[in-house]
Amino acid sequence: MKALVLAESLDGQRDLCAGARQIADEVVLAVVKGAPQTGIADKAYDVELPEGEAAENAVAGVQAVYDAEQPDVVLIEPTPRNKILGGMVAAKAGASVISDVASFDGDTVTNMYFGGLAEMKQKATGAKFYTVAATAFQPGEATGTDTVETIAYTAPAKALVLKGTKEVPREGADLTKCDVVIGAGRGFAEEADLQMARDLAAKVGGELGCSRPLAENVDWMPRNLYIGVSGLNLAPKAYFALGISGQMQHMVGVTNAETIIAVNKDQNAPIFKQADYGIVGDLYKVIPALIEKL
Amino acid sequence: MKIVVAVKVVADDQDIFVSGDRSLDYSKARQIISTYDTNAIEAAAQLAADNDGTVVAISASTTKADDTKVKKDILSRGIDELFMVADDSLETADSYATAQVLKGIVDANASDYDLILCGDGSADLYAGQVDVQLAAALDVPVINEVTGLKVEGDKVVVERTLEDEVEEIEVPLPAVISVSPNVATPRIPGMREILAAGKKPSSVEGLAGALETKVEVEDIKAPEMTPRKNEIFAEGDIDAFAAAVAEALK
Repeated sequence: MKALVLAESLDGQRDLCAGARQIADEVVLAVVKGAPQTGIADKAYDVELPEGEAAENAVAGVQAVYDAEQPDVVLIEPTPRNKILGGMVAAKAGASVISDVASFDGDTVTNMYFGGLAEMKQKATGAKFYTVAATAFQPGEATGTDTVETIAYTAPAKALVLKGTKEVPREGADLTKCDVVIGAGRGFAEEADLQMARDLAAKVGGELGCSRPLAENVDWMPRNLYIGVSGLNLAPKAYFALGISGQMQHMVGVTNAETIIAVNKDQNAPIFKQADYGIVGDLYKVIPALIEKL
Repeated sequence: MKIVVAVKVVADDQDIFVSGDRSLDYSKARQIISTYDTNAIEAAAQLAADNDGTVVAISASTTKADDTKVKKDILSRGIDELFMVADDSLETADSYATAQVLKGIVDANASDYDLILCGDGSADLYAGQVDVQLAAALDVPVINEVTGLKVEGDKVVVERTLEDEVEEIEVPLPAVISVSPNVATPRIPGMREILAAGKKPSSVEGLAGALETKVEVEDIKAPEMTPRKNEIFAEGDIDAFAAAVAEALK
């Protein structure tokens, strides 16, 4: 079994090559933007991209690697550029890319359906193309040779023209990297009351996220901070659900949290079935008391 | 300028419930425009308004999408005409299969298009691949993650926002472009738009032949939730609760 890894970032190259080793005995790496790392695959391809060209214009080079190697499976780092490059090669092979594969069981792969409300088990009937993150695999070492082959650039007939780029600083906290996350829900009556949640976050070294209604039905929190279906999927050490009822749509986003702590005034709220520690009470009393006692 | 926007109609995920056997229960969920496609519709409508253009919506959805309310919703957002192919095999169709159906609609009804817009991903599969597959099928260029578009002659100049950089890219037309949710804030159609939508042309057809799929779906089930300790305290037991929380944070 031969796997072709199409990766962009340095971590993605190494992690996907290490992962590919777990399902394939031969691993080939193709990199479009920048030089491929050596020592992590049996063979690496440096798909040339002239300075100032859009990465997507190198699709012929990626196609050449695919044609030369005839891999049994293609593992794609899920970046926007790779979605196009890998997707184009898949389309030519008469295949669909299966996106964001979370686990493998032979040819059957699992990914999320409706943002995690369900898991979908599926099988590609022809060529196998998956976008996949390193977390789908067991941790492992990437091994390989120093062999690198360069594929010369061939411009497409209808090329994109990259007119300029500028760097953007990241905005707000990256909740996916936080050890402690506080989630605020509809139990908060006023936007200003969220300060309590922020105070708790400050106390426990966490960051504030929310349930979908706080980002959409009311505009109290930015949309990129809501947790759950079609929003964030988190795996913090501790998750505080404050005034959150515990609907499935929200909980799929924190099911991988190590510990879930819930504050809700309704003892029948579903959140308590999914919490490690919960307190039935008014969050306007509980949160200040908790901040004081921690 | 002729703009096409691809729209998927899906069950409203806020009203999908999980049954005892972990299958999904859609019985309470109405059919809606897949959330991110509303942003693509808005971007298409604004682009058409700025460039003296027309917008047709195309959709490959299930027979449930053949619903007056959702069709009116699509047509009340600055869309001139809707072409839908409805078949229940499209519910979990892979991106290759979906794109082939969309290509069929384009070839039959909008072959003189300049630009096809797609949303970031559908609420159900969220693959972000139909744009690429459709571009491959039509043999035109494609770009994704677009947050701004400007027509310049026979080209569109897009702002493409990636995680750590913004690219300005000139895309020759015709092309397929998939837009990020923040490309445009969807309008809230008023009564006048909704009434007018009822008079706009729309057609719904079945599949011409069997759907050619490349992925076989074996099973769809809600995930098993992680077992939890379920230690629940009363409000008076705040001390014990705080102690448990402090221990968990160690």
